[in-house]
Amino acid sequence: MLKFTTLSALAEPSRLQIVELLKGGPLSVGEIADRLAIRQPQASKHLRVLSEAGFVEVEVNANKRIYKLRPDPFRTMDSWLDSYLQIWEERYDRLNAYLELMKAEEKKNNKEG
Amino acid sequence: MNLPENQNVYTEGNVLVIERLFNAPRDLVFRAYSESDRLEKWWGPEGWKTENFQFEFKPEGIWHYCMTCLDKNQGEFYGQESCGKGIFQEIVEPEKIVYTDYFADKAGNVNEEMPGMKVSLTFTEQDGKTLIITRSEFASEEDLKQVMEMGVVEGFSSQMNRLDDLLVEQLRM
Repeated sequence: MLKFTTLSALAEPSRLQIVELLKGGPLSVGEIADRLAIRQPQASKHLRVLSEAGFVEVEVNANKRIYKLRPDPFRTMDSWLDSYLQIWEERYDRLNAYLELMKAEEKKNNKEG
Repeated sequence: MNLPENQNVYTEGNVLVIERLFNAPRDLVFRAYSESDRLEKWWGPEGWKTENFQFEFKPEGIWHYCMTCLDKNQGEFYGQESCGKGIFQEIVEPEKIVYTDYFADKAGNVNEEMPGMKVSLTFTEQDGKTLIITRSEFASEEDLKQVMEMGVVEGFSSQMNRLDDLLVEQLRM
């Protein structure tokens, strides 16, 4: 089941921008702050939220903290959406078949009536 | 996912929209949705039996149902049970049904850990066929309020649209 916190982590323009930046490859906090034109502590704060929601992971490389995307939450979100859609699709396939029965039923009733 | 040709799926903010055209007049389609014994015939997945324990088709009325898998070929699902509880909010015959959908147990107790989802259905007749637009709102208002209080809801709707694009791109990666 998709957690609402997963979605809310992305419901902030800067955080979504960070995710989009990281699609291009791993970056350090400094690089992220530069490209978004925000202060480094702010960038760190956003990265912490994204990291807690599981969207990014950090690697420490020669005193530099490098952030990169983790695909898992994206998969969770997608599979949740996918299964929800599948339920409705199957449900509506059955409704479709049931409506054919109803139509036949009506026809019969009209003939008899 | 392979979608039938007569089906269209998209998101609008935190709402998932499913449009599907049915080859039957609107009154008939609405009856399939609004009469308890008819709804039971098609609501659950193939091989599952749906039983409505409570079906009060009026605003604030309760719809409590369980679905049981009776198909031995479905392996681990065989014998499983899944229950839901809906509370009707708005009914405009034969055009519109709005209800809030909750996970529940067989006794009708709502699972408070899972967010409720608002589902709105509109029925539009088009040359003897009926278009059902199913809109599912992901988060309850309370969830949204909570998020707003946390100060992260700014631009939520537009972000969700972009999120959708992002998911598609991620899948290609």
